[in-house]
Formats: sequence, structure tokens, C-alpha cells
Amino acid sequence: MANQTKGGAAEAIGGFFKAIGGFFSGFGTAVAKGDLFVKLSLLWWGAGYARRKQYIKAVIMTALEAAVILFTIFFAMDYVPKFGSLGTVKAEKVFNPDTMKSEFNNYDHSFKILLFSLFSFVVWFAAIIVWMKNMMNVYKLQQMDEAGEHINTFEEDLKTYVGEKFHITLLTLPVLGVIVFTLIPILLLVFVAFTNYDQNHMPPSQLFSWVGFTNFITLFGGGGLTSTFGYAFVRVLGWTLVWAFFSTLTTYIGGILLSLLLNSKKTRAPKFWRFLFVVTIAVPQFVSLLLVRNFFADNGIVNTICDNIHLTGFLKDIGLVGTNYIPFLSAPGWAHVMIIIINIWVGVPYQMLIATGVLMNIPSDQLESAKVDGAKPFQIFRKITMPYMLFITGPALVTDFVKNVNNFNVIYLLTQDVYTTTDQAMANSQAQEVDLLVTWLFRLTQDYYNYKMASVIGIIVFIICAVFTLVAFNFMIKGDKEGTYQ
Amino acid sequence: MKVKKMKDSRLSTIILHNVLIGVLAFIWLIPIVWLLCTSFSAYTGMNSKTFFPEKWSIQGYVSLFHPDTVAQFPQWFINTFIVACATCVISTMFVLMVAYATSIMRFPMRKPLMNMAVILNLFPGMLAMIAVYFVLKTFNLTNSYAGLIMVYSASSGLGYLIAKGFFDTVPRALCEAARIDGCSEARIFFQMVIPMSRPIVVYTVINSFLAPWMDFVFAKMILNAGVSSKYTVAIGLYKMLDKQLLNDYFTQFCAGGVLVSIPISILFIIMQKFYVEGITGGAVKG
Amino acid sequence: MRKKLISMLLCATMVATVFTGCGSSDDTDDKASSGTSEQKDSGDKDASGSIKLTLWGAEGDQDFLKDIVSKFESTYSDQKFDISIGVESESSAKDTVLTDIEAAADVYSFASDQISDLVRAGALANLDDVSEVLTKANKKLDDVKSANVPDSIEAATVDGKMYAFPTSGANTYFLYYDKSKISEKDAANWDTLLAAAKKSGKKVGMTLNSGWYLASFFYGAGFTTGLNADGTTTMDWNGTSPDGIKGTDVVKSMLDIASNPAFMAVTDGKLSDTLKSGSCSAIISGTWDAGLASEVWGKNYAAIKLPTFTVGDKQVQMHPAYGYKLEAVNAYSENMGWAVLLAEFIANEESQTKHFELAEQVPTNVKALEVDAIKKNIAVAAATSQADFGVIQEVGGKYWDPAKTFGEMIAKGKLKAKDDAGIQKALDNLVAGVTAALD
Repeated sequence: MANQTKGGAAEAIGGFFKAIGGFFSGFGTAVAKGDLFVKLSLLWWGAGYARRKQYIKAVIMTALEAAVILFTIFFAMDYVPKFGSLGTVKAEKVFNPDTMKSEFNNYDHSFKILLFSLFSFVVWFAAIIVWMKNMMNVYKLQQMDEAGEHINTFEEDLKTYVGEKFHITLLTLPVLGVIVFTLIPILLLVFVAFTNYDQNHMPPSQLFSWVGFTNFITLFGGGGLTSTFGYAFVRVLGWTLVWAFFSTLTTYIGGILLSLLLNSKKTRAPKFWRFLFVVTIAVPQFVSLLLVRNFFADNGIVNTICDNIHLTGFLKDIGLVGTNYIPFLSAPGWAHVMIIIINIWVGVPYQMLIATGVLMNIPSDQLESAKVDGAKPFQIFRKITMPYMLFITGPALVTDFVKNVNNFNVIYLLTQDVYTTTDQAMANSQAQEVDLLVTWLFRLTQDYYNYKMASVIGIIVFIICAVFTLVAFNFMIKGDKEGTYQ
Repeated sequence: MKVKKMKDSRLSTIILHNVLIGVLAFIWLIPIVWLLCTSFSAYTGMNSKTFFPEKWSIQGYVSLFHPDTVAQFPQWFINTFIVACATCVISTMFVLMVAYATSIMRFPMRKPLMNMAVILNLFPGMLAMIAVYFVLKTFNLTNSYAGLIMVYSASSGLGYLIAKGFFDTVPRALCEAARIDGCSEARIFFQMVIPMSRPIVVYTVINSFLAPWMDFVFAKMILNAGVSSKYTVAIGLYKMLDKQLLNDYFTQFCAGGVLVSIPISILFIIMQKFYVEGITGGAVKG
Repeated sequence: MRKKLISMLLCATMVATVFTGCGSSDDTDDKASSGTSEQKDSGDKDASGSIKLTLWGAEGDQDFLKDIVSKFESTYSDQKFDISIGVESESSAKDTVLTDIEAAADVYSFASDQISDLVRAGALANLDDVSEVLTKANKKLDDVKSANVPDSIEAATVDGKMYAFPTSGANTYFLYYDKSKISEKDAANWDTLLAAAKKSGKKVGMTLNSGWYLASFFYGAGFTTGLNADGTTTMDWNGTSPDGIKGTDVVKSMLDIASNPAFMAVTDGKLSDTLKSGSCSAIISGTWDAGLASEVWGKNYAAIKLPTFTVGDKQVQMHPAYGYKLEAVNAYSENMGWAVLLAEFIANEESQTKHFELAEQVPTNVKALEVDAIKKNIAVAAATSQADFGVIQEVGGKYWDPAKTFGEMIAKGKLKAKDDAGIQKALDNLVAGVTAALD
């Protein structure tokens, strides 16, 4: 993780533009210097291969070209022209008693227009690359032909895909999966942030349209007197950051301490102990967290016990609680602390497993020499173990932070249907004090169909994560002690 | 004299040390024990008065295996198992393929692709859910296991980093030697690197196998026809907590939770060593 | 360079072929369907000519629905059917349906307070447009309208158009109590009710943090909520009601009740739990808890209309939200005609009678209501006794969260009865949140 991101940022951007430049100049050369068949390949993709007797390739490229053209005519053209307006024809239907069916007009479905236009753009983008690349290939073939070099047969070409081009064989399907199931959905929702797709504009019965930056203005406090989105956003964002910080920190340190404890020479039957902790990972979160939530419910077992040992009464006397029960998960403050504590319960065993492995790899000579020098265990921990852990798992810590910003499960399972906010300004924006940005956006889409605001929040989450990652990695480069442990 | 004193303190610290671990383990296990106890309760609803059930019974388990319209646990288990196996195969393949390509091989698009992956990983997955749903609907894959499998596995390539970190530890010289001997990359991948990377393969397999057992958000969205016999374990159990059902099904919910956890726990016991090595091999170099 | 380009080529090729593959097949679908207007998946078409329908109902109604479906199939035996039944509770139907209307069931049951959202999203078939098909069942839409209680038809009607068939009524809440602890006279108003409960060492349970329960105090005092055509809600609770009662005074009365040690504010959804735990001698809930209540209190089980509460020196009757359960036909149903017939069948007199026998659902059909068993049912009697002053709650989606929070503030004692300005401000906030424009 660290390696590519560290040097990555600046280098990648520079390299990226250089690559693009090279790509275009290669294409230009091919067009300018190519012979008739190479130039013909601009129109007929298979031309160049046919000329060099690579007939199978010629057929494949021709078929591909035909496919793109057919796709454009019969599919893309139904949607892309409407991309600017996202549709104008509303659904209307007439019931036909003879067929017992409704007959719809040829109506526009804004979401489909958006989605399929995006599909089309991706396909066209790919097609253009293929087209340019194709030009360069056939030009190369021309050069090889002129130089009298051997031109691969189709079989030989295929063989390169388990040889030097094996990465293509490996990457094609995974990349395709990512494009269809991650990239396109994300792009789609980035677009939705600039539309008015909400409860009043829901396809198929209604249309939505572009609204520019209105939603962003609403989120940052604009959008009229009644809107409390700005207020709720700041509160939710604050808690999201606090949560991400503390949940990452507590489980990280907890995991290291626990693994030190378990891996100490004093521990008897370490495997058994470790297994006991790992069992908590094995129970699915939706089971264990829902149980814990009932455990700490206002009338749950813990409250019954606290009441029996008069703890509730004591807390009430000193003014910490105002109710007849301890509001573990139902009052702000209490709930915030409890959520972080419960998350320790969930997260520490997992971190313990990671830390165990890392600690096994600590250079033992350093530990030995420290012991010989008479260092106390705590000093060893502070001077050797901790820096080593930080060095090794630092990047993972950054990813953990990002994961916790997006930690839907813990918050949702612990607070959904249990927590009711008493902050009216939050309630008016369908938010709660214990919401993370992701749970808030989930509720906005599931209960209020407010897709536009959810998308805006999603983009903000992305920006936060991106900025944090960049800053953290830059910081790490500065403090880079690479070599210390090698 | 001095030596003896040291020994004494050692013995007591050892006891103290183990007691401390014991106490921690106890705290960690309370909810699990409660889950186990409640699953053997004779009362079908939630008991909030006592830790242990007032009356013990195995009724929760018995009714779990006598399906009614709500609870069809055996069917759910089979469904989830099928989905999990398919997901496991595809995800593991994808992850290892991407990891190998980015770790062992060098090609010009490598860096840009890896940077793309970093960026994509920063978006909240929850947000893409609605769009994924419509993509699946376009391909007519909602309410089908194929759709569910795709959702779990199609983007799995993005989680390649830990496996890549592990592959990075494979001595480069070995690969070079093989190449010089005329081995194709495919052979190096299948016959050298994979066999050398057992821990990370096991780690990936476990992780991808578990996803369908744990996820209730995507499954709920995609299997939206309301037909109980098509559910996975996760949504089936989750729906038992519905307001109207909770009082009749809470014990069954707990029993179901226990039954799901048992195979997973066993998996963990067997694979623990590999799991730790896999995680850390990857995380260390990552 | 070359490798990189080839890699891109290959990726792009794959992308292109996959998409064109899907694209072209989709395209033929589109072309084929534009004529027949089917927007559903091609999987729904069946070559054998059997009609495919999906039907959603609550968990507890599954057996009832199976029974009805087989009867429906035998009634129209000249047509082959393939009807699948799924689980979706009435209270959450809207959420599931609106996520993807086209994927929702052809026929489903929902609670009447969801009708405005469903209609605005275009999810419900307008029954006036398709009424012709009812001739197959030898009926007219007017027959349906006259066969059911007028209020239930009103609940199924938006802007003068009928959108659903009423199936059951009395979706409301009232007071269950333990006769041995509380007399019928005690149960008439909150003050005596709480006093009696206190004497017996038990509590009176009610949910406050839900807009559905909370509203009964305000409706009782003459306040209203309403719904605009654009889906926004109107609300006047921060002013003075037509009955001359100030909103702040209602809140003060509620605070008075909520702060009574014998009162127990029950979290939304936990009423059955609380009832079962036996800590209450009276609880406000609906017919769905009737079985449980008679189980807990045995022969001392009783039910009665909601109590009155004290505002100043006046006794004000609480007016509960009074809803119905309706059977919807999906506007995007592929087999619209048959879906309408099925929905009507589920809502007819015979089915309603059966539904009461199996699940104690109170009929809306006038004739079905005449059955002795219904008249004798304690819970139903209490529920229907409120029909006259029960309010068909008309609110939009923005109502629920602010109302829930307001209820929570009262339950948690966040407002102080002496702090008039604070109460007024909270009410103003509530009204601002509820009446806000949809976004």
C-alpha cells in the first residue's frame, strides 16, 4: 500500500500526462506515415491486418467495429441524445380491457437515461482507445513488414497471453468487474449529485433534471431558512471524524497490547486464549452487535443489573442520568462512548491477529541487545516494539481510518430503531447525533429517497478520505525511516 | 537469596498475567455466552430480566429445522453456502490474479491502475449500492444468486493489496530464474508462486467465503421479491428481528446465529496459523 | 509502450463486446415491448399463457393469502395463473415499493397513511381508469365503494380518485387495561388512570416517540395536520386550535402525564415487549396486541377508548390516528387487469370475513362487520368505538422524524412545563421541520 502511494502522487500524475502525450504522438505518427492500408484502418479497423495477412485478427477487429457501430445505433442513440435534458416525456398509461394490460406511451426514464448514457460513454471511450491503438499496431506491422521481420501468426499472438502479456489475461476480468460494479456506479452517483433526483422526482413516473451546484449549496447552509442540512452536516461530520480517530486508535493499541499479552512467555496455552478472542470475530456482526445492543437497551439486562446493584440510583443522585435507566445507547454522550467501547470489543481481536504476526517478525537481535543493556519492558515497548509496529502497519492505520469513516455496520446495527435524537434541528434533516456520514446517507436513500443529497454527502466523504490519505502518506514520506529495519 | 526472590516474583507475575488474560477473555465472551444461553431458552421472545434463561429448552433449534413461512433456516443455509462457494472461487481468483500482475509483473499500465484502485477504494460502498442495483436490474439479475455472487465478487480485485504484499516477499530471483529457463508467466503463476503462497490463498479464501454470511445490506436490496425461501442466512435472520416477529422468533434468531458461527469458528481454528501468516505477510510488506 | 497499449486494447475490447452484447439484447427487448407496453423483465412473460402475478402480504397473513389465492384461481378457472406470495409488512410496504416500483409486487397490502407518498410516486394504479375490468367479477367500482365503510373509501381516495381496495380497518390504538387493578371509570381519564395504576404499583405504558401516537393529544385538542399536493405537510400545532386550546397547553398536559411516576414512555416498537413483561396495568396499543393482552391479564383483560386528558380545567378526549389497511395494485403491473381482480378478490366480503377469523383483522365491509363474533370482540369494540372521532392521519414524509424527536423530548423530560417560551420554541421548530419543502 505504502510503496505505490508514497512516491505515487506527483510521479503518477507526471507519468500519466507523459503517457498520454506519447500515446497521441504515436497515433499521429501512425496516421501520417502509414501506407494506404494503415490509413484505411481509420475507417475499417481490420484493413491493416488484412494487408499483413493476419486475417483472423482482421476479422476480430472488423467484428468489434461492427459491434461498436451497432451498439451506437441501436442502444446508445436511444439514450445519449436525451442526456442533456434527462428526458422530457412523462409516463402515461391507458388501460386496455381487452388485453387486460396497461399500455404505456414511449416514456423517458431519467435514471436509465443517465445510466445507459454513462455506459455508452465508457464504451465509446474504450472504442476510441482501441481505434487509436489499432492504428499504432497496424503501423508497427507495416514497419516490421518493411524491415522484413517475422510477423506473428494468430497462434503465436495467442501464446503471448500466457507469456509476456500474461498480465492482460490476468487483469481483464477483474478490471471489467471493477468497471461495471464499482466505477460506473460511482460515476453515476457523482452525476446524481448534480440533479434533483429525490422523492418528488422519482422515475419511472416522474423525471429529474440537472440542477448544477444547488445541492452542494443546500448542504453548506444555503437553501432557505427551514433547511438545517448545514447544521446537521457539521455535527455529523464532527462525530464521524471523532469516531474514526478514536475507533482506529483504540482498536490499534488494544490489539497490540492484547497480542503482547498473549505472546508473552508467561502466557500458558496461548493458542487456547487466542481462540477465545477469535470466536468473537467468527460470530457475524449483525448477530453479535444486535445482541450487544439488546444487552445495553434501556430495559435490557445491563440496566436490570445496574438497577439491582443501585448503580443507576447512584448515577441519578450525582446527576449523570436523568432517567430511571442508564441510557447506554439512547442518549448522546453515553451512546458515543458506548459505541466506541463496543467497537473495541469488535475490533481488537482482529487487530490482535495482525499484531501477532507483525510482532513475530520483530528483529530479535534488537530486542536481545536491549535486554542486555538492561532496558525495562516498558522501555523496550516504547523504543523498539512501538516504532517497529508503526513503521510496518502505518499505512494500514491510514486505511483503517478510511474504513472507519465508512464503518456502516457498527453504527447502523447499534443505533438503528433504538436511538432517537432530541435535537430538533438534526431531526429536521433526518440526522442523528450518532450518525456517521455513511449511515446518514443510507437513511436518506432508504427512507426518504433523497438520492441527490446522499450523493453529495458521498462525494464529501470521498474528499475527506482522499485528503486524509494524501496528507497522511506525505507525512509518512517525511518521517520515512526505510532501511532502519532492513 | 536474590535468585530465589526473583523466582517467586516470576511465579506470581505468571499467575497474575494469566488471570489478567482470563478476565479479558471473560469480558470478551460474555455476549457470546449470552447468545448461546438465549438460544437454549424456552421463551421465544427476548428476556431482559436475567442473564440465564429461566427455563431451558432446545425448542429454538428444533423449530429452526421445522421451517414455517418466516424461518426456513435449512434452505437459507444451502442458499448461502452456494453463494459463498461461488463467491469464494471467483473472488480468490480475481484477488490472486490482480495481486500477481501488480506484484510480480512489470508493465506500463501498472502504476495508473494501482492508483485508480486506491482512489476507488476511498468511495463509500454504501453509496454505489443503488446504482449497482440498477446495473443488476439492467442485466435482469436481481433476485438471483448470480446477481448476488457478482456483487460480492466482481469488484473483489480492488482488495488485492494484502495479497500483493505477500507476493512481494516471493524472492524475485526465483521468478527470474524460471523465466530464463523458458517458463511462461502462466506456469510461474500456477506452479511456483501460488504453491509458495499458501497462507495468503487461505486468507483470501476465508475472507471471501465469509462475506455472504455476514452481509445483510446488499442481500436485502438485491433479493427484494420478499420470498423467504430465497433468502440468505443473514437476511433471513435479520428479518426475524422485525417488530412483529421479534417476540416469537428471538430465540430462533439466537439459535441461527450460533449455528452460523460454529462452522466459521471451526474454519478459523483450522486456518488460524495460515490466517495470521497471510494477514501479516501481506500487511508487513504492504 | 506496446504492452501497455495492448493491455488497454484488450480491456477495451472486452468492455465493448460485453456492453454491445447486453446492449443489443436489451434493444430487442425494448423494441418488442414498446408495442405491448410491458416494462417488466422478459422473465415475466410466459409462453404457456399463464398469468404471472406476485402478491405481498404481512408475515402473519401468509396462510390466509395462500388460501385466498387458491380460491381466486378456482374462481377464474378458465385462466391459468402463476401467483407467488412474498412477505412484506404493511407498515414498511412503501419503503420497499418506492425503492424500485417496477420490481415491486403486482398486488400488495399497505397502511393507509402511506397512500399519499405512493400516489405521488405514481406507484398505485388509478382504479377509476381500470374499473371496467371489474365486470369480470360482476361488479362495478361503485359497488365496492358502497360495500365498504365510507371512511375506508375516503382513506383509499386521493384527489377524488380511488387508488386501493380497503381490506381491514380499525388500524388504531386504544387503551388495554387490567380490570382487577383499574375500573372502567378510572380508565376514562389520565389523572384517575395514573392514580389507579400508582395504587396498584404498576404503570401505564404509551409510546410517545412516534408521530402516530403523539398526534392523538393534538388531534384531540382540535389541531390538525394536512397534506398539500406537492407532498409537503401542513401543521398548526404551534398556534391555537379552533377549539381555543393553545399548543403549549397541550404540551404542558403531556409533560404532566409523562412526568408522573406511574407513566411509562415505551420506545416505539417495544409495546408488545412491555405488555408481556407484566409491568403495566394499562397500555395504549392496537388490535394486534389483543391476544397478548388477554394472555397476560386473563379474565381481567379489558379494552376501552382512549382516556381524556386535562387542559387547564377542561377534559379533552384524545383523538387517535385511525387508519385502514389497503390492497394496492402496482401501476406498473404487467398484468394489470388480473392484478386488479386479485386485489378486489382479497378485499371482498368473503375474504374479509375469513381474514377476521384467521387473524382478527377488523373488516371494512359493511356486511362482514355485522358478524356476531366481531361485535363481541373486546378489542374490536374498543377500536371501532373510536371510529367517530378517530382521525385519518394525513401527513407527508417530512412529518415522522421531527414528530418522533418531539415525542422523545417530552418522554425524556427535555422540556419543562414552566418554560412557556421553550415549549413554544420547540413547537415552532417542530412545525418548521414538518412543513419544510421536500428535498
